[in-house]
Amino acid sequence: MTRGETRNLLKGLAFLSPWLVGFAVFMLLPIVLSMYYSLSDYNLLQPPAYIGAANYRALMHDGIFWKSLRVTMLYAAISLPAGLFISLGVAVLLNVSVRGQSIFRTIIFVPSLVPTIAAAILWKWMFNQRLGLINRALAPLLELLHKSGPPWLDQSSWVIPSLALMSIWSVGNTVIIYLAGLQDVPRELYEAAELDGAGKTQQLWHVTIPMISPVIFFNLVMAIIGILQVFDTPFMMTRGGPNRASYFYTYYLYDNAFTSLKMGYASAMAWIQLLLVLALTGIAFWSSKKWVYYQSK
Amino acid sequence: MKIISRIILTLLLGGALCVLVFGPRPEPAIPAERAHDVVIHYWEKWLGPEYDAIQQIVNDFNNSVGREKYIYVELMSMSDIDQKTLVATAGGVPPDVAGLWDPMVVQLGSLGALEPLEDLAKAHGITAADYKPVYWNGSHWAGHLYALPSTPAAVALFYNTRIFHENAAKLRAAGLDPDRPPQTIDELDRYSDVLTTFVTDAHGNRHVTRVGYLPMPPEWDWYVTSMPLWFGAEEWNVKSRQFTLTDPGVIRTFDWMESFPRKLGVAAVSEFFTSQGGFDTAQNSFMRGTQVMELQGPWMALYIHHNNPSMDHDWAVAPFPTAVPGLKDVTYCPFDTLMIPRGCKHIPEAFEFIAYVQQQAVMEKLCMLHCKGSPLSKVSSNFLHHHPNPYIGVFEMLASSPNAHMTMQCPIAQEAGAELTAIVQGVLALEVDPVPALERAQVRLQARYDEFETALKRRMRVKN
Amino acid sequence: MTNRREKFWTKLATYMVLIVICALAIIPLFWMVSTSLKSDTQIVESPPRWLPDKLVWNNYRLAISSDWAHFPLWTRNTLIIAALAVIGTTFSSAIVAYGFAKIRFRGRGVLFALMLSTMMIPFPVLMVPLFSIFVWMGDHTPIQWLGTSKPLWAPCWFGSAFSIFLLRQFFITVPDELSEAARIDGCSEWGIFWRIMLPLSRPALSVVALFTFMWAWRDFLGPLIYLQRPTQYTLALGLQTLQSQHGSTPWNQLMAASVLVILPVLVLFFIAQKTFIEGIATTGLKG
Repeated sequence: MTRGETRNLLKGLAFLSPWLVGFAVFMLLPIVLSMYYSLSDYNLLQPPAYIGAANYRALMHDGIFWKSLRVTMLYAAISLPAGLFISLGVAVLLNVSVRGQSIFRTIIFVPSLVPTIAAAILWKWMFNQRLGLINRALAPLLELLHKSGPPWLDQSSWVIPSLALMSIWSVGNTVIIYLAGLQDVPRELYEAAELDGAGKTQQLWHVTIPMISPVIFFNLVMAIIGILQVFDTPFMMTRGGPNRASYFYTYYLYDNAFTSLKMGYASAMAWIQLLLVLALTGIAFWSSKKWVYYQSK
Repeated sequence: MKIISRIILTLLLGGALCVLVFGPRPEPAIPAERAHDVVIHYWEKWLGPEYDAIQQIVNDFNNSVGREKYIYVELMSMSDIDQKTLVATAGGVPPDVAGLWDPMVVQLGSLGALEPLEDLAKAHGITAADYKPVYWNGSHWAGHLYALPSTPAAVALFYNTRIFHENAAKLRAAGLDPDRPPQTIDELDRYSDVLTTFVTDAHGNRHVTRVGYLPMPPEWDWYVTSMPLWFGAEEWNVKSRQFTLTDPGVIRTFDWMESFPRKLGVAAVSEFFTSQGGFDTAQNSFMRGTQVMELQGPWMALYIHHNNPSMDHDWAVAPFPTAVPGLKDVTYCPFDTLMIPRGCKHIPEAFEFIAYVQQQAVMEKLCMLHCKGSPLSKVSSNFLHHHPNPYIGVFEMLASSPNAHMTMQCPIAQEAGAELTAIVQGVLALEVDPVPALERAQVRLQARYDEFETALKRRMRVKN
Repeated sequence: MTNRREKFWTKLATYMVLIVICALAIIPLFWMVSTSLKSDTQIVESPPRWLPDKLVWNNYRLAISSDWAHFPLWTRNTLIIAALAVIGTTFSSAIVAYGFAKIRFRGRGVLFALMLSTMMIPFPVLMVPLFSIFVWMGDHTPIQWLGTSKPLWAPCWFGSAFSIFLLRQFFITVPDELSEAARIDGCSEWGIFWRIMLPLSRPALSVVALFTFMWAWRDFLGPLIYLQRPTQYTLALGLQTLQSQHGSTPWNQLMAASVLVILPVLVLFFIAQKTFIEGIATTGLKG
């Protein structure tokens, strides 16, 4: 290494030092500790005692662990594709140049600004079977079908679709990211497609989607990471009920850690969660070779 | 446009700055002349009128014993107090006195998160003879006294006498006496069937307009684990350390609960539940007369009076019916406690306050303000005759009865409670069959308990 | 001719769909405001009505001043945490981002990739060990960590991966000629960062500040774990306890409180709309 290189290295590390310290104390150390705790019996009141893989073995036989995993996956299966496609659709519409475009954009973005707790309170109220807005709005339809309004959050088969519905309300962020991607698609491509006689749908399918596939991919990865961490809304709105139908993975982890002080057990869950995130994003990356089109710059 | 947004931004920042500089602070509530006293941080779960009552007692203490002994108690109301106390204790920053529910005696005690109080109690002359056995025993775990009671509960049947009389003819036709409450579960069912009313809407859907009785109203699920008591069964055997969820009595209880949605319809039950408010609001079904009988504690007198005074003379209380011939005066007695979490830095001073609350006069004042019975064995005639609940005698009798039960003394009672509540929710929605659900829960909870015991033994070994 | 007609219909259809979607987005918020102004008797009315019979502004007063809710106090707590988080994140992330963007050194690429990958680590993975680290720090240093707001903002002073990334993307667009010129004039690396880079990066810095503020304003799990006394709560946590407490708060008051929590965020959004949208777009796009 030349003197200049060494100096640059020192300078660089000096500028990076806040992050390096933060990374060591608030990331690396916790991850190492978490590994150790996951192999221990630890309740914070007594020092951790090493017990090998017992926590992991117990998890494999814990019905609630599997249930919470199923709940999370069910939610993902509904809200992930719905969120991705609906926001893409909305973004495509918002990209059509119409008068008042910016007002439409603003309005669609606003719900994603609402703090989770306020959204949770609001939707809990809207989902109320008898007094809520949703069943009120559906009343004419229900009248036709001769049915009474669904119980939404109050019944185990309805609660996950309800929470997914609520999550779609605040897709504004994703829409904005899509929009930015759409605006980067070169005009000429559409013009060329039009010359070839491609209709609007064909343009969408053969130009727009391939061109923004990296953005779809980015949103997909973010959604995977986000959904595996869902905690706030079930905690605030349903307390995991009814009959544990909305007992999400992170909620069970939280309860183990801070309600039962089973820190070791919770850490084992945390590690499984980390591996899940890695595996799922890994699959996404692997599959991305097949469908994500990177424009050569 | 730019100027306007600048102005708004400045206003926002200015406002934020004002709040930061002049806004309220978590000011020390300690008056200046008490600044050198030992400050005892006391966490309570109560809000509203119950909180105010406790504040009165705390003020009394601060102005009497506290002044003499240089102790100042600072009261703070917490939500999710069980969990907050547990986490704070584990984090090494516990309150000095924690007003938790009784199940925490066992849960925190078995984690080693509480200070044992037996020596301090002895020094203050506090003994078993001072208390109704159910509350004294419930304050112990593994041979240690980990808490002393504050306001206690006992539950009984509340029934709407006005609706009973209005339906006298119908009740008589069914062979029932409108002038007395049901005494067996079977009778309760028959009264309930007569008193339940429906409307059918234009589409032929049934809606419940009034129920006779319904197990477990929402937000009121904490005593669901106690329902088998009236069927002569328990869910946990503390001696053998075994769950007994497949005991015939427990299964009978859950089958009985299932009979309600079967009779009334799942949709109707769920609709009825969601349309009513909490037990302390004017929208509560008992107060609105849309529920005729319920299992509740003495405090309901206060809420009824507060929310619907016109109903004050339309209700009465009796021991809740049982399903086993000869079994009577069964009640469930959860209670509020005062505990000292481990790591408290002023144990004798904290206990000074706890002992103060145990004095008969203080305790009776507090319990009357809360509209509850007294945990003490001696009860003054003033307490019995000027209590805001005219039926307090029934509750006192029940709490002293040999069939008064405490919360299951199981270190994983909370988890068991959650499991059982989930089953009840499933059963009431007819999504879960009681027997297989109870069998599964039995296996799961027993495994969890065994795990807990193994861990406990391992920790003991590590310590020695 | 057909082409033009077709265009007209497409446009009309787009309009219709957009209007419907916007209605779906905005009606819940309208319902929130409407409920917050209804009387106690009107909120339990079935079927519910769209508008309040008469405006009950008192709900707002009750929501703020109910003797148990420490609304002004919670606001102040939230502002303190937000201010410390915003200053810390913006400042430290800018320093680190400068290192990543403008100094060439061996291992930079690896470290940058490492930093990006930390964004994938879910917070629940860290929360248990972080809690025990703060317990340990409370036992072994004279500073109390748990039961204070420190664990919520102190980590912000060590940069956040998201903000570092965002700022780095901006810094690399600044031409090197500027800093070269300064370097020739004898300016130190810190001087270049402080006097040239920071003033040029005001838009990017405000994006970071804005996002950090939003995060601090709505964070829930952190305060839930670390804060203990109600007098220390943030608005989000306080509102949650109001909602879940024994003998629940009436819906109209809850809605009033929610409106008050949303309002500052909305106002901030409307004046800084461009900054917002661009910020989200850059982080999403260049990912």
